[in-house]
Amino acid sequence: MEKPKLIIDGKRCDGRAMDELRPLKVQAGVLNKADGSAYVEWGNNKILAAVYGPRECIPRHDASPYRAVIHCRYLMAPFSTLDEHGRSGPNRRSIEISKVLKEIFENVVMTEKFPKTAIDIFIEVLQADGGTRCAGVTAAAVALADAGIPMRDLPCAVASGKIDKEVAVDFGKLEDNYGDGDMPIAIAPRNGGILLLQLDGMFTKDELRKAVELAYGVLPKINALQVEALRTHYAVKKDELDFRGD
Amino acid sequence: MTKIVVPGELLASTPQRVEFAFVEDGKTYSSVLGLFDEANLRLVPLEGTYMPTQYDIVVGVVDEVKFAGYNVDISSPYKGFLSARDSRFEYDLGDILSAKVREVDEVKNVNLEGARKLEGGEIVEISPAKVPRVIGKKNSMLDMIRAATRTEILVGKNGRIWIKGGNTALAARTILKIEKEAHTTGLTERISTLLKEEISR
Repeated sequence: MEKPKLIIDGKRCDGRAMDELRPLKVQAGVLNKADGSAYVEWGNNKILAAVYGPRECIPRHDASPYRAVIHCRYLMAPFSTLDEHGRSGPNRRSIEISKVLKEIFENVVMTEKFPKTAIDIFIEVLQADGGTRCAGVTAAAVALADAGIPMRDLPCAVASGKIDKEVAVDFGKLEDNYGDGDMPIAIAPRNGGILLLQLDGMFTKDELRKAVELAYGVLPKINALQVEALRTHYAVKKDELDFRGD
Repeated sequence: MTKIVVPGELLASTPQRVEFAFVEDGKTYSSVLGLFDEANLRLVPLEGTYMPTQYDIVVGVVDEVKFAGYNVDISSPYKGFLSARDSRFEYDLGDILSAKVREVDEVKNVNLEGARKLEGGEIVEISPAKVPRVIGKKNSMLDMIRAATRTEILVGKNGRIWIKGGNTALAARTILKIEKEAHTTGLTERISTLLKEEISR
């Protein structure tokens, strides 16, 4: 395919401004059998995250007597894109993404409270449209909170990148494939600490700074949606809150 | 006033000792999804697995029979261990028992004592976070269910509830209803009317 025009009259190919997010919907507690779960629709991304645990660590030799280990599996469904994906299970790409996502959550989950156990996170990409790892982080964070697992923060992520020397945030599939570089970034919104920063392509110092700034501009909006999803999941009970006696 | 808080949410701008919260840079933040009572500085989680604590009464299933004792599944990430030396009876694989947690060490080895075999009856499993609601203030809720359904009920802190005799089905249904509506006010009255209606039917 020939490279499509990514910037038309100062707007992006889907009509967004450079600092504009795609429509984002977050929902908590969608699966019955998982300890915690979340569903995210972000542009055309459809992502399901499930969390189990803390539970007995399998395989046993992975367990640590000091903290819980986090197992993370990111997988794209075979039908998630136009090209076939992962019919034979995890591939090199998804193994890498699973690893970096695991490291994000190792930094926020209070693993030291659950020695000898494992916390299993499953991120299933049902439909992919660019920025799936960021959507996966956003979903998995909500799922972890829904499972009642203690965390220091609720991480969220977004990918910014470069299209024809212009820096923009929240890349879609076209921009991802034909743009000049993308940069997924995950943060802990409470103190703004960076949990993940990957970069694909060539950025100048200024472009990098701009890309990070754009991401920091939209991340609070993503975090607000995560918080809202968790609150509305329990909102039915919200009007009549009460504390039990002992 | 109580409100729903999420992990990382600010609870107080001064360092406070609140369960399930943590202090960073002199400020207190929530670590879990829970209900926070601002007046009493009390945080109650809405979800979570059972973490064994000393003196808890739990309902467990014998998982493994060993020479030295029994491994007991206590619906927690950790297995309970009941030493054969401390138990007056012998148990088989799959036996249901109630026991007290004697101690939990730093690597979460859970030692049980005072086991009693639970024979007959039924077991209902609920979320351990909702157990205090089933018991009620000074056992009020539990006593009410016991009296109305004429059942024998044993509530394990791990969320397993053993019911025997009387109207077991009604007791089980009531407990599941309490679990579902654990966060609403006036629950005791509603359960009381429900039980009266069901009994008079």
